[in-house]
Amino acid sequence: MDRTLSSLPVSEHVARASWWRRAAAWVDLHGRREGWLAFILMRVTGIGLVFYLFLHLTVLSTLARGRQAWDAFIALARSPLFVAFDAVLIFGMLYHGLNGLRVILLGLGVGSRRQAVLFWGAFVLSIVLTAVAVRMILMMG
Amino acid sequence: MWIWQALSGILLTVLLVVHMVANHFVVEGGLRTYEDVIHYLSNPFIFALETAFLIVVTSHALMGVRAIILDLGISPAADRRLKAVLVALGAVIVAYAVWLTGSVVLRA
Repeated sequence: MDRTLSSLPVSEHVARASWWRRAAAWVDLHGRREGWLAFILMRVTGIGLVFYLFLHLTVLSTLARGRQAWDAFIALARSPLFVAFDAVLIFGMLYHGLNGLRVILLGLGVGSRRQAVLFWGAFVLSIVLTAVAVRMILMMG
Repeated sequence: MWIWQALSGILLTVLLVVHMVANHFVVEGGLRTYEDVIHYLSNPFIFALETAFLIVVTSHALMGVRAIILDLGISPAADRRLKAVLVALGAVIVAYAVWLTGSVVLRA
């Protein structure tokens, strides 16, 4: 094997694979880095969702203050800034849920060799579904 | 603890989808009016479903908080105090939310 190629920080199966797989290795965040990214994103979205739970219950307390207070909140919820906040929230919920399913599978010993693919699958699916949800919100508004 | 976090997480994926669809995606304009919220929560099945969601999401969230704090490396005594605080906090959150929805329903 070429010394330069063998010294590249790519895993063995990638080094032995076809040219496009080698090309993909340039952008391949293989192994620990994906596990780390998945873990950090899980923690960040988890902490964010805990804060959101408190925020959600606080906002819902406007129900106890009557219709006027609720109507004022609904008007605020239709503002562009709030829709941007919704997008971040929906991504957080989707990623935390989908990656949570990935963590469960890995914990049961299923798909551990495909953990990186599962991470990117969860990440990309979260972005796609967030875009679909935001489009639905904008069409409803 | 891992198994409870996993089971509540799986349950949450179902309950959260139901919660989001019922409260936003099948509602005209995506957000309920005041009267609509009261009417929605007055259905005993919905009230039970939303209360179940509340209990599962609160316990999942607080178990997650404990997992993060445990990763920081705390003593068994500190963990016992932490558990007591989180259980009390969870009870307050659930009690408050049930009171809130209950008081809203009573206006119907």
